[in-house]
Amino acid sequence: MDKSIKILIVDDFATMRKVIRNLLKQSGYENIVEAEDGVNALKILKSQKIDFIVSDWNMPNMSGLELLKAVRADEDLKTLPFLMVTAEALQENVVAAVKAGVSNYIVKPFTSETLDEKIKKIMEKM
Amino acid sequence: MTYQTLTTQIDGMASDFLFLDDRDIDIASAGKFLNYLDQIVAEGEKVGAAPILKVSRSLSHILGKWLIDQVKDKEAGFGMIEKGISLMQEVAESYKNTGAYGGDVGPFVADCANLLGEDIPATEVSTEAVSTASDVKTGVPAAEIAAAAPPREAAAPVDQLQDDSLLKDFIVEASEYIDEIEVNILNLEQEPENKDYINAIFRPFHSIKGVASFLNLTIIRDLAHKLENLLDKARNAELDVTPPVIDVVLDGADALKVLVNKLKTDPESSQKIPEGLDLDDLKKRIQMVEEGRVDIPAKKKLGEILVEDGVISQETLKKGLDVAEKKPGTKIGEALISEGDVTPKQVSQALRKQVEQVSDASTIRVDTRKLDDMIDMVGELVITQSMVQQDLNMSLHADRNLMRDIAQLFRITSGLQRASTGLRMIPIKQTFQRMSRLVRDLSKAAAKNVAVEMEGEETEIDRNMVDEIYNPLVHMIRNSVDHGLEVSADRLRAGKPEKGLIRLSAYHRGGNIVIEIADDGRGLNKEKILEKAIKNRVIQSGDGLTDAEIYRLIFLPGLSTAEKVTDISGRGVGMDVVKQAVEKLRGKIEIESKVGEGTTFITRFPLTMAIIDGMIVKVGPERYILPTTAIRQALRPARESYNNVVGKGETINVMGQLMPLVRLYQLFGIEPEHKDPWEAIGVVVEGEDRSKCLLVDKIVGKAEVVIKSLGEGFKNIKGISGGAILGDGQVGLIIDPEGLFDFSEK
Repeated sequence: MDKSIKILIVDDFATMRKVIRNLLKQSGYENIVEAEDGVNALKILKSQKIDFIVSDWNMPNMSGLELLKAVRADEDLKTLPFLMVTAEALQENVVAAVKAGVSNYIVKPFTSETLDEKIKKIMEKM
Repeated sequence: MTYQTLTTQIDGMASDFLFLDDRDIDIASAGKFLNYLDQIVAEGEKVGAAPILKVSRSLSHILGKWLIDQVKDKEAGFGMIEKGISLMQEVAESYKNTGAYGGDVGPFVADCANLLGEDIPATEVSTEAVSTASDVKTGVPAAEIAAAAPPREAAAPVDQLQDDSLLKDFIVEASEYIDEIEVNILNLEQEPENKDYINAIFRPFHSIKGVASFLNLTIIRDLAHKLENLLDKARNAELDVTPPVIDVVLDGADALKVLVNKLKTDPESSQKIPEGLDLDDLKKRIQMVEEGRVDIPAKKKLGEILVEDGVISQETLKKGLDVAEKKPGTKIGEALISEGDVTPKQVSQALRKQVEQVSDASTIRVDTRKLDDMIDMVGELVITQSMVQQDLNMSLHADRNLMRDIAQLFRITSGLQRASTGLRMIPIKQTFQRMSRLVRDLSKAAAKNVAVEMEGEETEIDRNMVDEIYNPLVHMIRNSVDHGLEVSADRLRAGKPEKGLIRLSAYHRGGNIVIEIADDGRGLNKEKILEKAIKNRVIQSGDGLTDAEIYRLIFLPGLSTAEKVTDISGRGVGMDVVKQAVEKLRGKIEIESKVGEGTTFITRFPLTMAIIDGMIVKVGPERYILPTTAIRQALRPARESYNNVVGKGETINVMGQLMPLVRLYQLFGIEPEHKDPWEAIGVVVEGEDRSKCLLVDKIVGKAEVVIKSLGEGFKNIKGISGGAILGDGQVGLIIDPEGLFDFSEK
């Protein structure tokens, strides 16, 4: 699989972004950008070509779900792969995200292998 | 009634279901089906087809469980959904033909519940379906789901993350988040219903838990998780935010802080609980509060206190209560006194005891709004006083005794004003301490050796200002630690002590509080600032700019000179934002810097936002107040200094600088006394990035005025920031220079 895809990490906690970045790097993904919340993520999505989003669920200003909805409502970004990171597999949240068109979700904490697997699975369907 | 839409929706879902590959439901399809089911429920409600609702809700529930991997037998689950869809088709068909459905969907609903291992008797099926739906809406407590969920995936081993700086980052960021929690919880205590505050506290715990789980910090993760659950309940209005809740959250935040700090000195400590920290007790308390088992200690009744103190017996109390009941409006104390059972003194002692139960005797908490109201009223009193004074000065034959009494009244009024403003003043110490903690954390993260010195921590500042000034100050400190100070090796090479120094000092000067943040680092690099400013086309060239002017360039947007973006400062916020924040508070910021010796940020803030130090100017019959902080100088322009260049407008030459001339009377449409600049007065006023010369008739004087808002209707008037009542009772408008400049350029 193509590991040069450009991945956008969205999380308000800088350490968390670094954790995800490190895990991605271990699986060979090097092309990574970061945003600290949904608002900034949308700015980045408007200005650069992003191939994959890994976004946290719970963030100030604009939550992961709101970001997902905004992405899906945008004609250019409608089909962009979107992996949601959640603290636990809460049925209510997962259902809301799935209805809004999330590509998949992943529960914290996870290993680099699980993350890689999820990404591969999503990208294969593209 | 038409059932066309309903059958179309169900058929659509059925055909999509038919085309699934490998009898497996992927996420995209699940989303599609869930949205179908939502539509079917909405339409079913509209046409009143109750059996459809039951079936579709059951199906949604199965899909939800499927998504979180809680459908053990996938094959059976798939079959159940298949069955449900054809059942809905059957029901809809029946409704379409007969307007009713004769069969029973109960068994199907029960089968679904069985499949999910949810034990529901078939008779209660309908209510179950509804309650499940509502459960989903309000959010099943996370803990319950987690308990049922498949075992957590083992945390990524820390060595898999291959980066020990992660732990350092976590310590810094978590400490910051905990500080944030402390601030927000104090706000929450004031407004326990405010969801924003609850969220602002919930989120940091949530984030800390998330990262801790990756770093295998199980103790921190568990504690943060418990606190998060507690707040989640508060967020969903399942729990009232009472003082015990606040206490336990604060204690929890403290405990987290201890745990995080411990990591700093002893990274290996993550698996053991530091001595002196009773986490079990804390967890027990969290649980008790969560279950609502701790109540606010109820006020004891007066009668109970009297009985407890042995003043009266239980029977006497009962008798007294009967008497009080017969006469409405009579309190128990009065009744007992009238019956001769107790003395008034005994009652008042008991009453005092009753009050002491709920409040500490030496300090009381007061709603800041009440305090603000009071200070506002005192402001009014001071104004009225000066009005009386003016009237008196005008009447020559005032009574000597009256004059003396009034002078006395004035003294008391001034004292009252000082005392009331003092109520809201708190020492800046707390803010400094928070900042010194921040320096410590930041220096660790930046691998620099930094000492902090504090000076003038006792300097007082308005409580309302403390939170406002915190963020800009933090940013300057980040800047000093990150960019100002050198690493140890560089310092030694430059012949400086290895340890860098940051000095925080505060003092009062002319109605302002001055806060200085000084470092003994490398100083600002003039060449680099100029290079960047020219590159970004902020200026054409650096010729003729003084050092101070060059330094001031860093306050312009996009002019950070740091070569690398770091975790600490590189967050997209530059000094321009700091400057704006400071100016929003009517403050000023300056930089002093010497290459190789260090940089000092000097900020000046008004002591309070309620009073402004202003210069009163007159234009025609109107008076305006110019904030003193914005005034650079006042002058009577010479005839030769006036220039009118076509296309550039009128200017006044002020000591070699051409200042655009703004005729206030023109902007406000007033007939002035003087139209020629050389007969009027020019006041040079500074805005955010420009200065102009305002033309006024005369300067009346200087005054401290209490700022009054002009109310909703006049909120957005350009150039005017508020009003004030002047000494003679007339209203003067307060000018907002920046807004006025914008207005004048239109």
